[in-house]
Amino acid sequence: MRIVARNRAAQQGGLAAGELLSNARSKVRDLQTCEADPAADAAALRRLALWAVRYTPIVAAWGETGSETGGADGLFLDITGCAHLFGGEDALLADLERRLRAFSLFPRLAVADTAGASWAMARHGGKNRAIVPSGGERDALENLPLAALRLGEETQLLMRRLGFRRIGEVIDQPRAPFAARFAPEFLLRLDQALGRAPEPLNPVAPPPVYRAQAHFVEPIMAQEHVLEAATRLLHALAEDLAHAAAGVRVVQLLMFRVDGGVVSLDLGLAAPSRDAQHIARLIALRLDRLGSELDAEFGFEAAAIHVLVAEPLPDRQARLGMGEEDAPCDGLAQLVDRLDQRLGRGAVCQLHPYQSHVPERAVRATSPSPVTPEACLRHDVGEGRGGGDRRASAVGIPPTPNPSPHRVEDAPSARWGGGWAVPSAPRPLLLLPQPEAADVLALIPDGPPRQFRWRGVLYQVTGAQGPERITPEWWRRTNEAPRDYYVVEDMEGRRFWLYRAGLYGRGDATPPQWFVHGVFG
Amino acid sequence: MRSACIIAGLPAVSWSGARPGRSAPDARLHGHDSPAELAGTFRSSHKAHRIAALRQTLTKLETAAAAPGAKSLCLSLGIPEVHRHLPGPGLACGVLNEVAAGSHGSRPAAFSFVFALAALALRARPASKLGPAVLVASRRALAEFGRPYGHGLTQLGLDVGRLLLIETKTDKDALWALEETLRSQARPALVVGALAGDLDLTMSRRLNLAAAPHSTPLVLLRAPRAAGTSAAAARWRIDAAPAGRDRFGAFAHWRWTVALDRCRNGRPGQWLIEWDHVAHRFRLAEGVADRAPAASAGLRLAG
Repeated sequence: MRIVARNRAAQQGGLAAGELLSNARSKVRDLQTCEADPAADAAALRRLALWAVRYTPIVAAWGETGSETGGADGLFLDITGCAHLFGGEDALLADLERRLRAFSLFPRLAVADTAGASWAMARHGGKNRAIVPSGGERDALENLPLAALRLGEETQLLMRRLGFRRIGEVIDQPRAPFAARFAPEFLLRLDQALGRAPEPLNPVAPPPVYRAQAHFVEPIMAQEHVLEAATRLLHALAEDLAHAAAGVRVVQLLMFRVDGGVVSLDLGLAAPSRDAQHIARLIALRLDRLGSELDAEFGFEAAAIHVLVAEPLPDRQARLGMGEEDAPCDGLAQLVDRLDQRLGRGAVCQLHPYQSHVPERAVRATSPSPVTPEACLRHDVGEGRGGGDRRASAVGIPPTPNPSPHRVEDAPSARWGGGWAVPSAPRPLLLLPQPEAADVLALIPDGPPRQFRWRGVLYQVTGAQGPERITPEWWRRTNEAPRDYYVVEDMEGRRFWLYRAGLYGRGDATPPQWFVHGVFG
Repeated sequence: MRSACIIAGLPAVSWSGARPGRSAPDARLHGHDSPAELAGTFRSSHKAHRIAALRQTLTKLETAAAAPGAKSLCLSLGIPEVHRHLPGPGLACGVLNEVAAGSHGSRPAAFSFVFALAALALRARPASKLGPAVLVASRRALAEFGRPYGHGLTQLGLDVGRLLLIETKTDKDALWALEETLRSQARPALVVGALAGDLDLTMSRRLNLAAAPHSTPLVLLRAPRAAGTSAAAARWRIDAAPAGRDRFGAFAHWRWTVALDRCRNGRPGQWLIEWDHVAHRFRLAEGVADRAPAASAGLRLAG
């Protein structure tokens, strides 16, 4: 294990990148480490690059492929023709540094005619915010070490063996021997730094922004007018979305009031869609629900629609046959959307098993997870209960094993359809929100109930099955008592799930109590 | 009533042409007239064509709404004895089926019967062909005995992954959600509604119409002893019955006393039905099991 990056404290402690972790631990006591995550570094650098587009349209992330760090450690900004907008190169650098420091980043900045020279000055130049005058690369680079040329480890090692230490020592050497002995990388990097060879940058492409807005001649107030405006905007967006094969997941409708107020509605969709009619319907339902809460005052003079989250939505071919119909998942996602908008989020839910043996914790209700088109295409393989597991694995979620009553893990298990296993002991069909106390008469203290009174009604028990002992989760530190569950049936055939909380013979002050927890059919 | 709907839907132009002296609201007031009487009021001969067209529309509407006709789909219950009392081999799809508990205490039994129906419906066809089973319930309908419990449903043989629960604040919202679900393209395998209050005739008709286009099986759990009339095609009454025991005395099969109180194109009946927890299907309990618990319960009730 080697050190890839260090913070300021580690630098002061004398640690170096590339050092063995065991050596570093012997140098510095209480060294805190975490695993390097090159993918996350690259993603963070990309976000920073997108931010830096505020200075120039061409921003490229420097990624040295094959290096141990993954190379996510710098940005090139092509500020040709942009510097004067910020008051000159000096001011631009100062502004950039100030803003980056506000992000708790401590940058090394340099400006030069070539990307290579600025890279060298930023990393190996003496002072921060160095500005190399136009045409002065040669002078600036002369005294820098060869590492400033962005060379690979092997080339650097070879150069050191040959006795070259500084860039100035190789600039005027005849080129032919170098070309013969070294990888082409060496001369290329040298030429790029000095401006003799071009260096193409690979600028980051900002993600597409889908937004549309409209200004009205007269302020609009009526709900149907708002809806009409939104529908037109959505139609305009739908073309762009179809072009990019994307669909909307979260969309925001902004309405600008005459008096300067802004009303915004956020809508989330269960599955990506670019169907303007469908989204307009959702907006209509939301407006219905808001009703008088939506205050138009003197009317809206403009409206805008922003797509906050877009997801890929490939075109699908329509079926050829008349009899064949589309898979139902599309209709289902749209239905869930509409219900969500009208009834409020959380009204539509699905049950998922949760790995706990305490009955009231063993099920979670969550909003239906989105159905991806891939999952939809594949889930015709299963029939009945087995289908659930197979479907779950098709979308990359492993099916969960049986939640046996005494499993210790406490992780929520799979999503849509997966993970249900038949419990070994009877479980009720309807579970009461809270266990309700019942007065129970039993023949012997530890025995099943003979009769019980619940909600003011007396039930004569004709048969009982149990007990099934369920202890509280020991890792949760509760004061709950162990429960003994019984399934009991009364004379009319009604079945209940009762439990006795607590044990006899422990000398507790309060005797065990009985509760009704659920009902069977 | 139905003819009134059609007349009101006619373009206003034809009315002004036919009856210059009358305004449109007047015409609506006379909407209760039979088509034959209305025909007499038309003067020009080409109106007769329109009448014929209207009659055709009417027939179409009636076949679509009343009789499942060409697309008579059924959700098989798997019990021939019960099927003999029904118009088709099973629970009629595309129409409203009511399920009511015989007494307040047997409401959980009615719930479990409906969940067993849902399990049947989900097993009848794979997920690629049909959407999930949908339970729409108002908060008050679930307040008394609690929410459906996933592990219990799994034990019944229901694929809980394909069950969608919709809990609404009011009965009104629940009815809206029911209609929306029935009219959507989701093609649910079974739609179950559970209401706390009662349902009026208009609403039951609306549900009937909403269920028709996709022939969706629709079951509505009504309050026990619901008195209101409704346009339901069948009304079932469910009572709890002592469970079938295995040879160790453990509860092996849930049982219900299922009564068919009313059925369009069918005849009433009453059965003791049990759920086979292994094969996940209904079967008739009589003849298979001992009747001792049922008999004793009856005796004690009498005393």
